[in-house]
Amino acid sequence: MEETKEMLDHLGIAGVEELFKDIPDKIRSELKLEEGLTEMEVMNRVKDILKENRSLSEFSNFMGGGIYRHYVPTAVNEVVSRSEFYSSYTPYQPEISQGMLQALFEYQSLICELTGMEAANTSMYDYPTALAEAILMSDRINRRKKHRFLVPENIHWEIEPVLKNYLRGTDIILEWVKYDKTTGQIDKEDLKRKAGDDMLGFFVSSPNVFGVLEEDTKFYSDIKDETGSVMVAGCDPLSLTLLQPPSEWGADIVVGDSQPFGIPPSFGGPTVGIFACKGRYIRRMPGRMIGETVDKDDERAYCMLLQTREQHIRRDRATSNICTNQSLMALASAVHMFVKGGKGLEKIAKKNYDNAHRLASLIEDIDGYSSPSFDSEFFNEFLIGNQKMIDLKEFKERCKNNDILPGIPLGSWTESKFKELPPSLLIAVTEMNDAEDMEVLVNTLQEVKE
Amino acid sequence: MNPEFRQALYETHLLIEEHAKDREIEDNPLPESIARKEAPRIPDVPEHEVVRHYLRLSQMNYGVDTGFYPLGSCTMKYNPKYSEALCRERDALDLHPYQPEDTVQGTLRIMYELQEMLAEIGGMDSVSLQPAAGAQGEFTGLAIVHGYYKNNNEERDEVVLPDTSHGTNPASAAMLGYKTIEIPSKEGCVDLKALREAVGENTAAFMLTNPNTLGLFEEDVLEIADIVHGSGALLYYDGANLNAIMGKTDPGKMNFDIMHFNLHKTFSTPHGGGGPGSGPVGVVEDLKSYLPVPLVKKEGDKFILDYSLENSIGRVKGFYGNWMVLLRAYAYILERGREGLTQVSERAVLNSNYLRKKLEGTLELPYKPLRKHEFVLSGQKLKKEGLRTMDLAKRLLDYGYHAPTIYFPLIVDEALMVEPTETERKETLDEFAAIIEKIMNENPETVKNAPHNTAVGRVDETRAAKKPIASYKMREGDEK
Ligand SMILES: Cc1ncc(COP(=O)(O)O)c(C=O)c1O
Repeated sequence: MEETKEMLDHLGIAGVEELFKDIPDKIRSELKLEEGLTEMEVMNRVKDILKENRSLSEFSNFMGGGIYRHYVPTAVNEVVSRSEFYSSYTPYQPEISQGMLQALFEYQSLICELTGMEAANTSMYDYPTALAEAILMSDRINRRKKHRFLVPENIHWEIEPVLKNYLRGTDIILEWVKYDKTTGQIDKEDLKRKAGDDMLGFFVSSPNVFGVLEEDTKFYSDIKDETGSVMVAGCDPLSLTLLQPPSEWGADIVVGDSQPFGIPPSFGGPTVGIFACKGRYIRRMPGRMIGETVDKDDERAYCMLLQTREQHIRRDRATSNICTNQSLMALASAVHMFVKGGKGLEKIAKKNYDNAHRLASLIEDIDGYSSPSFDSEFFNEFLIGNQKMIDLKEFKERCKNNDILPGIPLGSWTESKFKELPPSLLIAVTEMNDAEDMEVLVNTLQEVKE
Repeated sequence: MNPEFRQALYETHLLIEEHAKDREIEDNPLPESIARKEAPRIPDVPEHEVVRHYLRLSQMNYGVDTGFYPLGSCTMKYNPKYSEALCRERDALDLHPYQPEDTVQGTLRIMYELQEMLAEIGGMDSVSLQPAAGAQGEFTGLAIVHGYYKNNNEERDEVVLPDTSHGTNPASAAMLGYKTIEIPSKEGCVDLKALREAVGENTAAFMLTNPNTLGLFEEDVLEIADIVHGSGALLYYDGANLNAIMGKTDPGKMNFDIMHFNLHKTFSTPHGGGGPGSGPVGVVEDLKSYLPVPLVKKEGDKFILDYSLENSIGRVKGFYGNWMVLLRAYAYILERGREGLTQVSERAVLNSNYLRKKLEGTLELPYKPLRKHEFVLSGQKLKKEGLRTMDLAKRLLDYGYHAPTIYFPLIVDEALMVEPTETERKETLDEFAAIIEKIMNENPETVKNAPHNTAVGRVDETRAAKKPIASYKMREGDEK
């Protein structure tokens, strides 16, 4: 090519290979990949492969467990498809990046409105890593001799292995608090027994992995006050349009995942880890945060806030190693919230609540099922149980034949998840589920008990 | 050349401040004791106003699709649009992570093939796609190191790295409880003597990127590997700079044991205004059993999620990684292919050296001239006029360029780190070089007060830090 030749000439070399002469022969290698394809071929090939998937739209779907199928307004996709946003990067140069900066500041503001916290960052990778970072942060807030952090057993099964890795190199010890077998909420006696003023903090999630809401929230703020420890609360952001915000029951840090707003299930990723805290802890925060300030003419402007906490400045003494995060997903969430508006979100939340409660009572009417399993209030996800279920493998087969994704099996018929419970299903219901879906599920559940 | 660059500026109040009202929630179905009374202040704005708000904000933002973005270390290449289109397919995005494996065979196939492709590109034995970004890849790699020595009953509590390393390297090591030992570079590269002195029976790993962050290829890499391995430690490759070497060499050939890939850099997935990215981790055969689970495995003609790795460190995040990013990288690798990826590196290195040569008369270039995909200039000269690299960076914005990375790596005074990437043409590089030269001859006051043509003028970051406002709430002063 002419252009290449001119450039090589400018460098005074005959070929591009000369620019690689500093790579010793001994370590030379070549790629063993296929030949490249044209765009048309790529599109055809990848779409063909994707056809081997069956998308959720082909099923009556009740899957939750951390990823929920909500309706994503079309405007969300339009906005996040603006390539001024998605083809930019971390706004290191604020003057030319005000758009993304302000958009992320608005996301932070929305998260604060929902959670009642004063400060939020622009995202963690997801819920489990947000919780892990919150535990590490509690150690920065609350330097104690003993490094116990209490975590209830009613959290998502994928969280524990993540926490173990994030705590690997620390002297923080996780201590597990039982859950109440009747309510599914935290076993208050057990928490009281284990809590003490020698602990860093504790975690309470509402809803928890069973979809159960903690009903005696004052109990937790009392524990916090008595022990002077850090309370980390887990949330579902949609439920917070109806549910008391964690700030009102003493949370210092709130974590969660904003996936229900604007983010399709996407096989589990990318989502956006929510991380918010009280204003006074802002200097202990992990991750990128956007702040409001002014420019040299005193006009309002936005920039990254307290970068001296971060790895690119503070290196091994940074509050976290996170650099690239999930910003575009945070943008999607914010757009979703604004497009639906406060009243619109509240309406969707009520619909979720109503649908879930309607389905729970339909299932309760089937002989043998306890629905919900736990005697507690819930939002849009709940557990059902039945001692006499058919074999799990056969159950799955039947569901497949009925084109139904009935929820996530937990309890004694699984290999590892909450084996102390009877054969159970974790069922999530959203505004996307109609009466027909529910009928399919109810009919299937009638078939699959012994 | 575009001295006429003007970025859009709209009056953009926050949607919250314009429209939010205090409102009581009516007919809350939740029990009184846990029901929310006051609605969150999320405004009810007509959809078209929301769309206008964001469209305006987008025009106040600068991406690769706006123009040249030579942000060193970040590989801001143009991202192909076919990947974006594929990610809007329902069969890609409307999938639940727990739906039965036989209903997601397409996705599992793509993940499996991507594992294989990355292993080939990295010269590694096996790859996990779980980490969400480069830094999480580092964290994962070091967790593997941690698990490995724990299994072998060896107590090694130090990670050694060069002073040119990226901030995430020491930060990741510290998160895993390692003491970090930074060794000074010699002529911009690893000082073998310093390395020999630093590593020993306490060293768990040495972390390196090659080419390093100065864009210099560490020619002694095999000796480095011998020294590190000789001390019983493992060698970690930070894959952020892989864009320089594809088809020429690979981390496996260089005797690295563990590496991460930055799919959002090398494999052309968009940076999303800060993310999401993806940071798969590759390891040599001995370490395969330590990888996070699940991996995707092929059994006959079926693809399954395999949780059976004997020594697995478990998980570093929920589910299986940033699937939508993986899909884009997969499509990109298919499109480029063997020769295409080699050409990517060739052109990235050609562009970098061409621009380096064009600029080395204007600004000082410490260390030897031959670079790989990026190079680091020093803005020391600017000090004479009372200016700093920061001022030059800000002035570049006025001409419609994103600035290079500045003040990194730390060992170059007033550093300006330039990575043009392979997707830019010669004219762009020529224009950019000409503008830098022009700025050097401009009235220093103009430069000092830059930028002038962006949405806002120079932003007061110090003031932001003094009284932090991280939300609308905090602006109102109701901090608790
Ligand atoms: C050299 C180097 N290493 C590591 C990282 C961290 O990668 P990420 O931002 O994906 O976490 C980066 C990029 O930011 C980098 O440039």
